[in-house]
Amino acid sequence: MTPDAPFDFVFAGRVYRAQPGDTIASALARNGVRVLSRSFKYHRPRGLMCGAGHCPNCLVQVGDEPNVRACMRPVVPEMIVEPQNAWPSLGFDLMAVTGWLERFLPVGFYYKAFIRPRRLWPLFERFLRRAAGLGRVNLTTPPGEYVKQYLHTDVVVIGGGRSGLRAAIAAAGAGADVALFDENPTLGGRLNYSGSATAAAERAALLAQVAALPNLQCYTQATVLGWFEDHWLPVRQGNRLWKVRAKAVIVATGAYEQPLLFSNNDLPGIMLAGAVRRLLHQHGVKPGERAVIVTNHDEGPDVAAELLAAGVTVAALADGRHPTPDAAGLPTIPIFWGHTVVRAEGRAGLRRVQLAPLTVDGRPGAPLQTIPCDLLVIAAGSTPANGLLYQAGARIAYHDETGQFVVEELPPGVFATGRVTGWQADDAAEVGRQAAAFAMGRDGMRTVPARGAHSLPAPCYRPTPGKAFVCLCEDVTAKDIAMAVAEGFNSLELVKRYATVTMGPCQGKMCAVASIRLTAAATGRSPAATGVTTARPPLTPVPLGVLAGQTMEPLRRTPVDAWHRRHGARMMVAGLWQRPEHYGDPPAEVKAVREAVGLIDVSTLGKLRLTGPGVPAFLDRLYTTRLGDLPSGRVRYGLMCNDEGVILDDGVTARLDEQEWYITTTTGNAEAIYEWMQWWAQAGWGEGVHITDVTDDFAAFNLAGPQARAVLQALTTADVGNAAFPYLHVRQLELAGVPCRVLRIGFTGELSYEIHCPAGFGPYLWEAILAAGAGFGIRPFGVEAQRVLRLEKAHLLIGQDTDAMTDPLSAGMAWAVKFDKPDFLGRRSLLRVQAQGLRQRLVGFEVLTPGVTPEEGLQIVQPNGNGRPTIIGWVTSSRYSPTLGKAIGLCWLPAELAAKPGTPFTIHRTEGPVQARVHHGPFYDPTGARLRS
Amino acid sequence: MIVLSCPNCGPRNVAEFRYGGEVHPRPPVPEAVSDEAWIDFIYMRANKAGRRPEWWYHRNGCGLWFLAERDTTTNTILSTYLPGQGERHDA
Repeated sequence: MTPDAPFDFVFAGRVYRAQPGDTIASALARNGVRVLSRSFKYHRPRGLMCGAGHCPNCLVQVGDEPNVRACMRPVVPEMIVEPQNAWPSLGFDLMAVTGWLERFLPVGFYYKAFIRPRRLWPLFERFLRRAAGLGRVNLTTPPGEYVKQYLHTDVVVIGGGRSGLRAAIAAAGAGADVALFDENPTLGGRLNYSGSATAAAERAALLAQVAALPNLQCYTQATVLGWFEDHWLPVRQGNRLWKVRAKAVIVATGAYEQPLLFSNNDLPGIMLAGAVRRLLHQHGVKPGERAVIVTNHDEGPDVAAELLAAGVTVAALADGRHPTPDAAGLPTIPIFWGHTVVRAEGRAGLRRVQLAPLTVDGRPGAPLQTIPCDLLVIAAGSTPANGLLYQAGARIAYHDETGQFVVEELPPGVFATGRVTGWQADDAAEVGRQAAAFAMGRDGMRTVPARGAHSLPAPCYRPTPGKAFVCLCEDVTAKDIAMAVAEGFNSLELVKRYATVTMGPCQGKMCAVASIRLTAAATGRSPAATGVTTARPPLTPVPLGVLAGQTMEPLRRTPVDAWHRRHGARMMVAGLWQRPEHYGDPPAEVKAVREAVGLIDVSTLGKLRLTGPGVPAFLDRLYTTRLGDLPSGRVRYGLMCNDEGVILDDGVTARLDEQEWYITTTTGNAEAIYEWMQWWAQAGWGEGVHITDVTDDFAAFNLAGPQARAVLQALTTADVGNAAFPYLHVRQLELAGVPCRVLRIGFTGELSYEIHCPAGFGPYLWEAILAAGAGFGIRPFGVEAQRVLRLEKAHLLIGQDTDAMTDPLSAGMAWAVKFDKPDFLGRRSLLRVQAQGLRQRLVGFEVLTPGVTPEEGLQIVQPNGNGRPTIIGWVTSSRYSPTLGKAIGLCWLPAELAAKPGTPFTIHRTEGPVQARVHHGPFYDPTGARLRS
Repeated sequence: MIVLSCPNCGPRNVAEFRYGGEVHPRPPVPEAVSDEAWIDFIYMRANKAGRRPEWWYHRNGCGLWFLAERDTTTNTILSTYLPGQGERHDA
């Protein structure tokens, strides 16, 4: 996919030419484009700065993808890149007017401004909506392909620079399986761009060793987003989220180069040394024509030499140190010892800088030198990239003397090497071997990293007046932080939340250290005493699609699913299941069941097989109903409560023979009830009880209606007459040649048979039953018709008419609670309910207001004279009954109101009040004669 | 995500398990305890900081209910074992 010849791409509507291997940012630098974005608040022009994917300056929009880091993303032919946060254009951004309005937009302005006058809010809102946010989300973008993948390994190495590679090679050499992750497109870290032949040779040698180790896998452009317990690491690689479990983790994430604080330190043309060296050595791009370098260590002179070699004029080197003895070996350029930059000038790009000598306390003195330049290289130290170590619980201390964070102690299984430790110690190979030993169960635990000198910290120069930006993401200046402290936000966490420093896309990589030091200075505490803000995952912004991944929600289909779809069923979701809601005409389906015969697919019911001599006692303890004395060949309704006396589930229990029971649960509770039964069985009540979940093993159909027996008889030679196969009995029958267990029960209120057969026979038997019923007017029916049918019988639905507070006595099911049994789950609590009396009751109602079927969930109200009626109950089920020609339902009412049939009450409905009256018992066939016929 | 060691299946991601709450024995004869004691049993939990035994269920695995001793202050599993058995399996 990597192009091998120059190619074109588009930025801000113009075509540019890129070279193979370019990132978006390097290609734009190659073409002399200096302004890449506009800043968040003041809309100041911003250009390439860190070159390492840390700062927010080069965030761009690529097609529909916002907030792409231009310095990290390889450019590809025909890529369409747009700048962000600029309106109407990058060169002429009208919103830059906010820079002039600065004094009206002080720190924390969103807590103060735009509040009054309130009537102007719509205007403010239009302005703020345009000003706020980064990038543009296209809501019509088709969802991308996102993937999640597990990875298990012994050792994970985070960071593929010199230290990480050496540690990984050592760990793999010791026999551990190793996975190395690096967020850059190429391995090697700084070896890629340090410009020396020895570095290039070392990189080549390391990569050769990597290639020779089959148990070392390297992942590039792979960002570790956080550390979680037991070394569980989410890693983003493009549109893939790796879920990595390691036995040991080596953190070798290096350090973040830090900018300096001076006036206009954000002008395009001001770059960190790493960005300059990447442009020079990785891409062969001249980053400017006339450079000034500001430094406080040896990297500054090195960069100067490299710029000279690339043909760049080096106008000055400002070195915060005082002359070193080997200064003689430095390139012949003007060197200002003990100086720093105090001010940069220019409009859309850097034009000149002012240098000043540093005073003894680190405060820059009066500007002495103004030097024209178009490039300012900042080589002024770094801060460890230790966010993962903080998350893992490492103890890290800030040393006020050196200004560096150093690792003091590491938790078990977490190792660190390289600049992330804050120490200069050449211990990568040793750390790799120790991590491998730890992961493979030998000792090797080390909780204190090797020490040396502190690695190069960023200097603590005091900021100069003017706009010295601490936080480039949110345009927070050094002055803003001082003002936040002055306003009373005098701790780091408060400053963070008020000034929003460290809260932008860079997540503190560029600003955390500076904000700690500035807060310390403003509060008169030391930086060590000021502390750090909590490091939380994700360490870098991550698209929500990556976290969401592909849809992994399992979908369950009954064995007859295809038939339903072929025959016009409208499918609905029931838990994980897909079920037919109806086949086009629910009232006709109800009518078929009431007057002829219907067939519904109830394969979604939970089905449990219980065997063993302990089952009768077990069931009597778990169900409020009496099931222990159920004879072979019989079926009984069962109701289950927990010890709070709350209804959990209901279903039927069939005893197939002396040692085998077959139990159904509601569709939604199948798994929960299996777990519940397992708990009681395994926790002590399970002697002689064996429970198997056979939900998927059986298809189940309910054949219901006055003609059900005739249809059943047509399918079997066995006698299924009312005497041979009475109500609430179970028979093992062969139907159309299929072995079935048939339960004669009646949820619908009609003569009905629940037919369970091995799932594989389901489609055949379903069609066989329909064929047998053709002459009897059979019709398939769906969940909607079943809901009407059961409501006509006033049967409650667990979870629809009951909730997590419902006890069976209030639900009108006292008949299902056998207090004369010994201890069962819920008995103790239900005795209390019985003794205290009921407050609310579930009862039936019929609607008196003509033409209205109240919606489920409506409130039942009582006028109380002041125009604001009191809520006294609510509707849980409601349907128009085609059989009865009126709307009926179930509702919760105060017990005294529910006690007497015929009591009128009012349902509150937006369109007007609905009158209804209490109804006791089934609405249809109250004696249940049809069930037994 | 922590790793939990099922006594049957060995170390697995905790997402495979269902948490069953702290060990909280049911009074053997509920009728024999006072209303207050019964309400305590139903609603009150010790929620102790530190080591405590608790129930776990290997839902996406073998279906075993087992006990784990967990330190709630560090979220580390110290051991897992079967109910009623003294055997302890190092987590």
